[in-house]
Amino acid sequence: MPSFNSFVKSGFILIFLAILSGGLFIYSGFYSMGADVPHNKVTYWLLETLRERSIARAAADIQIPSDLNTSERLLSGGADYNDMCVGCHLKPGKDSSDFTIGLYPTPPNLALSADAHEHAHGNSSKDDEKIKRQFWIIKHGIKASGMPAWGPTHSDERIWSMVAFLQRLPDLDPEQYQILSARGEGEHGHH
Amino acid sequence: MKLKTLSAIFLPVALGVALSAQAHDPKEHMKNAEQPKCEKMKNMDHSKMDMNDPVMQAMMKKCMKHKQDGDAHHKHRDGEGHDETVNEESKKEHSEHQH
Repeated sequence: MPSFNSFVKSGFILIFLAILSGGLFIYSGFYSMGADVPHNKVTYWLLETLRERSIARAAADIQIPSDLNTSERLLSGGADYNDMCVGCHLKPGKDSSDFTIGLYPTPPNLALSADAHEHAHGNSSKDDEKIKRQFWIIKHGIKASGMPAWGPTHSDERIWSMVAFLQRLPDLDPEQYQILSARGEGEHGHH
Repeated sequence: MKLKTLSAIFLPVALGVALSAQAHDPKEHMKNAEQPKCEKMKNMDHSKMDMNDPVMQAMMKKCMKHKQDGDAHHKHRDGEGHDETVNEESKKEHSEHQH
């Protein structure tokens, strides 16, 4: 019967072999990093879980402004969304772009409701959690996903306005979207 | 060595993102700013419009502002204003639905 010591030794040897084989696999270069080859299910699950848990934890203490559902915020957020986000996250009447086809993971179509676009939101089913999550992602971005951090160049107020616009975006038709998102000459001055 | 390699990979990416982000000042976008197509409001189903809805209020604000600016621009150019029928209609609709 094997002693406790030999049992512990075998355990350490197994762990060492697992780390060694993992390291060898990484250095072998066999894992495809091309955006046109999807992750296998295990890698996808690991990365998605890591992302969602990290965001949920980081966004938990964010305070949502009380004036989120105002016309001013929609106008400010709509114009910024159209300038910064529409290429990847689309708009009413448009269901694909070069970015949505080429990027991996595919950016969620934010013109659709959360249920309609096939994109995991972790456990954030409540509206407040969704809003905090959106604010955090816009401000900080997501590593290795193509989502940049807008925080260094945009104020929190501007980001909150984008979040406000996102809450109404799935309800808009193409005409409403165009009017709300056109920066136009009226909003910021004359040409 | 590792740090150098990582820097060589990430520095151009970071620089690219930083430079493109500088263009996101609203004033930068004004150069090619799209105009709101307020005439489309004419074709919308006004009976379904809720004037207390921030989306509707935002559209009205946008088109009023756009109209005012357009009028001022025309007056400045021609000496008299050209009415935009659509926006007048929008105004009318607004007052009808406000009660």
